[in-house]
Amino acid sequence: MYGSIVLTINCVCFTALGKAIHALSRIGNELWLDPMVKGLALRSVNSAHSAYGCFLFSPMFFKHYSLESGSKQGSKAIKCKLVMKSVLPLFRCLTSIERSVERCHMSVSTATDRVIIQFFCRHGIIKTHNIHFQESEALQAVFDSHLCANVLKAPARLLADMVVHFPLFQEEITLSITPMKVTLRNYQQGGKGPMKTMYTEMSLHPNEFDYFQIGLDSDITFCLKELRGILSFAESRSLPVSVYLDAAGKPVCFSVEDMVLEATVLLATVTDSDSRDHSQPTESLTPKISRCISSPAQPVAMSQGPGSRSYTVPDELIASSQGSPVISCPGAMRLPQIREQTCLSVDSQECTSSTSSPASTKVCSLLFNALSSQQDQDGCAAQLPVLACYSDEENADDNPRSPSQ
Amino acid sequence: MKFRGKITDIACLNHFTTFSRILKSAVCLNEADPLCSGVVTTISKLTKTCVLRLTPDHLFFILPGKVTNGGVGMWCQLLQANFFQEYQMEGVTSEVQEICLEVSPEPWSRALKTVQSAKSVKLKLTRKHCACLTVAAELPTLSSVGRVVTHDVPVDVIPRRLWQEFQEVGVPDFDVSVYLPPLKTMKSVVDRMKNLSNFLVMEANLNGDMNLKIQTDLVSVTTHFKDLGNPAGGDVSSQDGGPSQSRDPEVMAEVTVDIRKLQQFLMGQQVNPSKALCNIVHQNVVHLVLLHEDVSLQYFIPAVA
Repeated sequence: MYGSIVLTINCVCFTALGKAIHALSRIGNELWLDPMVKGLALRSVNSAHSAYGCFLFSPMFFKHYSLESGSKQGSKAIKCKLVMKSVLPLFRCLTSIERSVERCHMSVSTATDRVIIQFFCRHGIIKTHNIHFQESEALQAVFDSHLCANVLKAPARLLADMVVHFPLFQEEITLSITPMKVTLRNYQQGGKGPMKTMYTEMSLHPNEFDYFQIGLDSDITFCLKELRGILSFAESRSLPVSVYLDAAGKPVCFSVEDMVLEATVLLATVTDSDSRDHSQPTESLTPKISRCISSPAQPVAMSQGPGSRSYTVPDELIASSQGSPVISCPGAMRLPQIREQTCLSVDSQECTSSTSSPASTKVCSLLFNALSSQQDQDGCAAQLPVLACYSDEENADDNPRSPSQ
Repeated sequence: MKFRGKITDIACLNHFTTFSRILKSAVCLNEADPLCSGVVTTISKLTKTCVLRLTPDHLFFILPGKVTNGGVGMWCQLLQANFFQEYQMEGVTSEVQEICLEVSPEPWSRALKTVQSAKSVKLKLTRKHCACLTVAAELPTLSSVGRVVTHDVPVDVIPRRLWQEFQEVGVPDFDVSVYLPPLKTMKSVVDRMKNLSNFLVMEANLNGDMNLKIQTDLVSVTTHFKDLGNPAGGDVSSQDGGPSQSRDPEVMAEVTVDIRKLQQFLMGQQVNPSKALCNIVHQNVVHLVLLHEDVSLQYFIPAVA
């Protein structure tokens, strides 16, 4: 009836699905649905490409999960990109959904380019929502958490208790860890603003964490707003949260997992030199590439397709020494996405998109390369050496896509 | 100018929590977000700043308002000895043992929210990126080392020439003084009335009657409270001590007020005060006085023009 349906799922625990969507809505305006053999991945990324979230639900999470592969079209699993605004309202009032909905049925129809979500409610009522999707390249961040110097693990409750002291409008916070203390404080933009802001700092002892491995004292600054979603998700399922972090400039990873799902949020962090030196000139138009990029040991890159290719900064653009700023040639750059975090625009520098970088020097580290299917990227990608290490959770089982997509 | 105070006793912290809850209601007008965690712009339409006044014996928290009586909207006073285990201050000069600080309500109430769950609190006047009142709270944990939360609330020191606005406010020459009905009842009545009208008439007489009235084109609603009792010396004549004509006990003194201000006052009253009374100056101002154990709170609601 719907043409070729490539995915059919039947879900009774849609609360978790709804909460995942809530969490992702705090990150980006678009939702990627990636049905795979190993499960359904929901992903999102923010426009500045400084925050990424992925919620992977294994087939066991669903009452029924069937993926059409090798269907008539000959194409593999479809990647759907949906507008978050179309999906979020369906899962807005989770408490009322829990009360009235018995199960949720989701299918993806390639013939009509629609994701069909049906809520089977009490009294025989069925609510059907057809949501248009765009076919898209997969959105995937590759991040090897095993290479992170510092790993923390704590119940979601602990992290929630840490962030509760900060107001909801607080954009960035700074997390500092040493073997003796873990501190969270609100990020102070250098210089004086018209308002005097309240400065809040909370600290606790490492022994409050379930697991605390510290290889490197570090101070990282990232966007708090984008984190709250996964914390709330973890709390709702009473799951512990693992935090993988390294030096300033390298992304921080928050992840939760249980038997049937894995969730990850990757956030870019402010580079060290920027956070210390506030008097830097702001007229520079070429972005500074963070140390993260220049150290090949820990690149974080987007994979183009389902894992067959991924790349990071071409070698020739990397500075020789770790600390020196790199002036890149914007034209040749593979990194139009290095830009100010939108959440760091407290300086009133707007985060501009794609190629022109903002004047502010507060640069965050690279997380991703281009997401949308751009032919030139595909072409270039093939020539570049694969530098990224694949993280366990993302790429192992994906079917390689045909290059024509 | 120096100030440091410390509260370590749990009972005192609980009292302080009551005090901070009262304050929080007074500063938060955003009904959708009574915990002041919402957007900053919605707060403080009526109160832009709060004044903290420190003397060797007392702590005063003052919300300035456009009222007839010395410009004070809310006046909260506590005896520091009932709260602080340590309290040291040095005023602006050696003769003037007083400090007046202006603080923004939203961050201040956030800092106080942390205090609610603390096991000890230290307050200190400091200079960080600007003059700050630092609130350092130690939170209980299961481990041996506690969690410490520090809030540096930016403050402005108020120059002495402006101090007269924040001195003790005398009780106005009221026409009627009456004890208030249970505040929870008042609150539920006022909450419903607010849906119908922006203005409310408060009236009371010396017979212990009080009415809350609203009137619109379509409907008028009055809630009657009886047998509330009047405090001794409950009218102007007995205040003067003179034998001049005493007021007819049936005659109501009334004030038309902005209903939101009354609601703001009632919002934080979760604990029943030991004493709650209301002084009404006819067509002028409503002066509400609450006594909670160690905290005295006075609230002025002016008549609408």
